[in-house]
Amino acid sequence: MERLEDQIRRLIIETLNLEDVSMQDIDEDEPLFGDGLGLDSIDALEIGIEIQKVFGVKIDSSDENLASYFSSVKELARFVARQQGPAT
Amino acid sequence: MSAVKPCVVIPTYHHVSALDGIVSGLRAQGLPVIIVDDGNEPGDARLIAGVCAAHDGVELLRRDFNGGKGAAVLDGIERAEARGFTHVLQIDADGQHDLARAADLLRLASAHPTALVIGEPVYDETVPRSRRLARWITHIWVSINTASFRILDSMCGFRVYPIAATLAISRSVRIAQRMAFDTEILVRLVWRGVDVITFPVPVTYPPGNYSNFAMWDDNLRLSGMHAKLFFLMLTRLPFLLFSRIRARRRSSRHWAAIGERGSYVGLWILGAVYKFFGRRICLVALAPIVFFFFLTGAEQRRGSLLYLRRAHEAGFVPQVPDLFLSFRHFLTFASSAIDKLAAWTGKIPASAVYGVDEGEFDRAKKRDQGAVIFTAHLGNPEVLRAIATLRFRWRVNVLVHTANAVRFNRLVNEFSGSSTVRVIQVTDVGPDTAILLQEAVANGDWVVMAGDRIPVTGNERISWVPFLGKLAPFPQGPHILAGLLKCPVHLLFCLREGAHHRIYFERFAERVELPRKGRNEAISASVARYAERLESHLRIAPLQWFNFFDFWHPAGLKPPEPAGRSGEQ
Repeated sequence: MERLEDQIRRLIIETLNLEDVSMQDIDEDEPLFGDGLGLDSIDALEIGIEIQKVFGVKIDSSDENLASYFSSVKELARFVARQQGPAT
Repeated sequence: MSAVKPCVVIPTYHHVSALDGIVSGLRAQGLPVIIVDDGNEPGDARLIAGVCAAHDGVELLRRDFNGGKGAAVLDGIERAEARGFTHVLQIDADGQHDLARAADLLRLASAHPTALVIGEPVYDETVPRSRRLARWITHIWVSINTASFRILDSMCGFRVYPIAATLAISRSVRIAQRMAFDTEILVRLVWRGVDVITFPVPVTYPPGNYSNFAMWDDNLRLSGMHAKLFFLMLTRLPFLLFSRIRARRRSSRHWAAIGERGSYVGLWILGAVYKFFGRRICLVALAPIVFFFFLTGAEQRRGSLLYLRRAHEAGFVPQVPDLFLSFRHFLTFASSAIDKLAAWTGKIPASAVYGVDEGEFDRAKKRDQGAVIFTAHLGNPEVLRAIATLRFRWRVNVLVHTANAVRFNRLVNEFSGSSTVRVIQVTDVGPDTAILLQEAVANGDWVVMAGDRIPVTGNERISWVPFLGKLAPFPQGPHILAGLLKCPVHLLFCLREGAHHRIYFERFAERVELPRKGRNEAISASVARYAERLESHLRIAPLQWFNFFDFWHPAGLKPPEPAGRSGEQ
């Protein structure tokens, strides 16, 4: 089974059609938005939609910590894992 | 865990046949029940007592004399308070309410313990051909503001009362004791600042059912109550109807900061006047009220005059704007409120709306395809919606406090599965709401948004584009959302033309493209085109522009300085 982090990296590239970006280009700890990959809040929304669809998790837009979940691939993976509950 | 402790109160007078079934259903849900025997004759009283004895957890309150529904409910609520309950779910004894919804209403009550939760009847006669035409109203009506007030079916007796607030009222004023009770207590609660949350509930009329609503008597009492409330309202005018009252600060406030709850009650009472006296009298009755707001609403007056001047310069308004024209602008707004009421009470026949079965609108509604619809605070799109809704007797209302998006989103999340109308504040769209909308569009639903009010959060996501000759801020949100939803976008306006309303509907874009490169420019171009189309419809009915604030500098916003001059004072 592919690592969650890799699944998320692939999802980001496919969702946003980042043609000139490969999976290796996305550092797990690197900020996704602003400086790092340079994505904006519309991209975040698109990624959020895909994440919900693919992983069956719920992202609550009134959650105050929303920004921190989207800060890096690693954080996103942690968020998804937590939402999905303990691994079975 | 919430501290809400609910029980059920069932006032009974003559209705005994359905009682046992209702009580069984409620006890199966573990709800404590108080049945109020409202002075029934010995025969019925015995039957009621028998039902009570046959179930655990059911208390019987017997009134020696028939005092009417209000008296019976209040007795029940008093008793519930004495037993330590915090909320009362009121259910009519005639079996017309779907008990399966009781849990939904109570869930809402425990999420919003200070609110009054009302079941909003949905007369669910599924007309197959309604699938096609009702599509356009569909399951979602997204609006920043247009949907913020609705006329509730204030007589629906399926509701959850917060006991403390209700008794505070009943102990300080005399409330109608009979059928007018349901309505009056609702209005009084709203006046006290209690939020009203509605939830759609299916209503069926069981065969052989008759109503205790005594045609003449109760109608007389209702008019009496309406008259009473109307005069009381006059004393509360400053907080009702327009409610966009004097700004404390000089700068023009953000529209969302100007409360709209008052307008709901004002509209409701206006509805009563309309119902009994008709449109003309309603307008006459309204004129002094509008005049009052015209005098005291300096900010709105300034907003109106500013707009009229711009419209005049653009050649839309021939006469030079003066206070008289501004007053007419106010009156037009008031009469649009009446149109809303008329539409919702079924007083506007479909034949009075032109364009329902014509042109692009007809084609679009026949196409089984999801779409985004942009509208604006121009004219009265609600008229159209009400008519289509009533045409199929399919009616669902959500009362939304627009500024309170968090609470509202919670509501949406809680009930996204069962509610048939969802109103979502566009400024607050996150991944959760976006996905909800995406599913809706995939279902062929239409998502309607007003594109002329900027988000509460201020400077972000605004495009400054030409509007009536000067740069004005428009929200990017609707365009971004339309882009994310990847579906066709239409423009919809409904303008009053003489005694009729006319639908204006046109294709806005096959897709709003959001390319990664030059995204902001693409969005701004879309916004600019919206403003341009809006302007060209404004020309048709310049007085039906219902943004009564400084549209070009809301909340003191200024257009961005041209590059290189930003340091200048």
